[in-house]
Amino acid sequence: MATVWRSQYAFARFFVGKTVRILNNASDLGARLKPESISIPLSRKYSNYAASPFVSKIQEQYEFEIVKNPPEWGYVERFLPLETVPQIKPKESYPSGWIAPKEEAKNLPYYIARNKNHQIPIYLEIGYRGQRKITKIKRIEGDIWLMNDLIKKYLKNKCNRYVETRVHEMGKFIDVKGDYVNILIDWAHAQGF
Amino acid sequence: MGSRQITEKSLAMLRSLPRISLANLRDNPGSRKNNKRGRGQYGGDKHGAGNKGSNQRQNYMRLGYETGNNPFYLRMPHESYYKGHHHRREYPPISLLQLQKLIDTDRVDIDKPIDIASIVKSGLYHFFPDQKHFGVNLTDEGADIFAAKINIEVQWASEQVIAAIEKNGGVITTAYYDPHSLLLLKNPKKFFETGQAIPRRMIPPPDAIEYYTSAEMRGYLADPEKISEDRLRLAQKYGYELPVLENDSNYSMLCERKDPRQIFYGLEPGWVVNLKDKCILKPKDEELLRFYAS
Repeated sequence: MATVWRSQYAFARFFVGKTVRILNNASDLGARLKPESISIPLSRKYSNYAASPFVSKIQEQYEFEIVKNPPEWGYVERFLPLETVPQIKPKESYPSGWIAPKEEAKNLPYYIARNKNHQIPIYLEIGYRGQRKITKIKRIEGDIWLMNDLIKKYLKNKCNRYVETRVHEMGKFIDVKGDYVNILIDWAHAQGF
Repeated sequence: MGSRQITEKSLAMLRSLPRISLANLRDNPGSRKNNKRGRGQYGGDKHGAGNKGSNQRQNYMRLGYETGNNPFYLRMPHESYYKGHHHRREYPPISLLQLQKLIDTDRVDIDKPIDIASIVKSGLYHFFPDQKHFGVNLTDEGADIFAAKINIEVQWASEQVIAAIEKNGGVITTAYYDPHSLLLLKNPKKFFETGQAIPRRMIPPPDAIEYYTSAEMRGYLADPEKISEDRLRLAQKYGYELPVLENDSNYSMLCERKDPRQIFYGLEPGWVVNLKDKCILKPKDEELLRFYAS
């Protein structure tokens, strides 16, 4: 049978004179044990804990300089998350192809509102393992039926084929059967949405 | 049109139907299932387990076992092209077009150096350091339209990307971060709130050292002299005139780099950031200063 070293101080022996600070995982709160802080008696009763040694003279913390209103606080603020999606400042050009909504589009009888990320809410929905493609135009305000007629006419002229649509008045969306996302986004940009 | 009639119809239906009450409320048919299994002479039959064999005894064969045949999954010889793929470092891509879009929509601030923390902060880059993601791979899609002058630090970049950024007068560095530092960079606020000291960044593993010390890849451990030489070489290769950094109005921003042991811009390892009292704890203890010195 293997000999088991049964001592209460088995762990303390390792800590003596060492920096007991496990960085970023500090279970001991940055405490340091010094050699004189642990006393080891010569004989010991194992039947009770009354004679257990007390750990004393622990230096509680490392010394830190506390800097109030530090000059580096600007860097800290840089890392804090954005509270909201930022409003886009007007620029002379947008190389990525983003286009700002125009004011005059609000005079039209129908309107497509931008989503929270300032993009036009026209999406492609793929279902039945890629068999069914549906272009979904969301967030439509105003006369949705008029807009439906215009879209149908526009797509018929553009693609030379009849395009099936589905209008959901309550849900404020139109489903167009087929992948017409880029064509419809260009159409919406042309309308000024 | 249709929807108006539907409203009328449903309202008419509502008027004629009886009100829901406790007296006529019941579960949907089939929504409740009896979990009891019948016993005895007539109730206790096979209970859906069938007759004979492993189906009856419910000691099913192990997956792929073909009752003694050479199993299908062993029949073809194995060529392990992707051996150890689940241990390799992954760099989730973001293209120059996407980066330009982030800049156009004011998600990243180009007046300050861009690093992985600011890209993740935009909220449009999915990044999971615990899934062996080791940072940003900046890809060359949209290299032709890219028009921003930036100081960016990524973890992986190709030559075209480096050329596209330097053509606009920008600066690019590739830098390695260990997964623990990347976790801090992903959500710095969460880390500051824990009240722990900012750790040191680890040096790259042996197989990544070559990449991060090469001037061609603009590694953060490369010789700056060689990098400026290579900037000129790349400009000649791709045929653009290299803008002079020293004449730039934003020269100080473009020159800002992190220390190889530093994780956050402007914050040194060993510091503790207190968000509540808006103060920073800087270590004075010599032992700590020695530990955190790079």
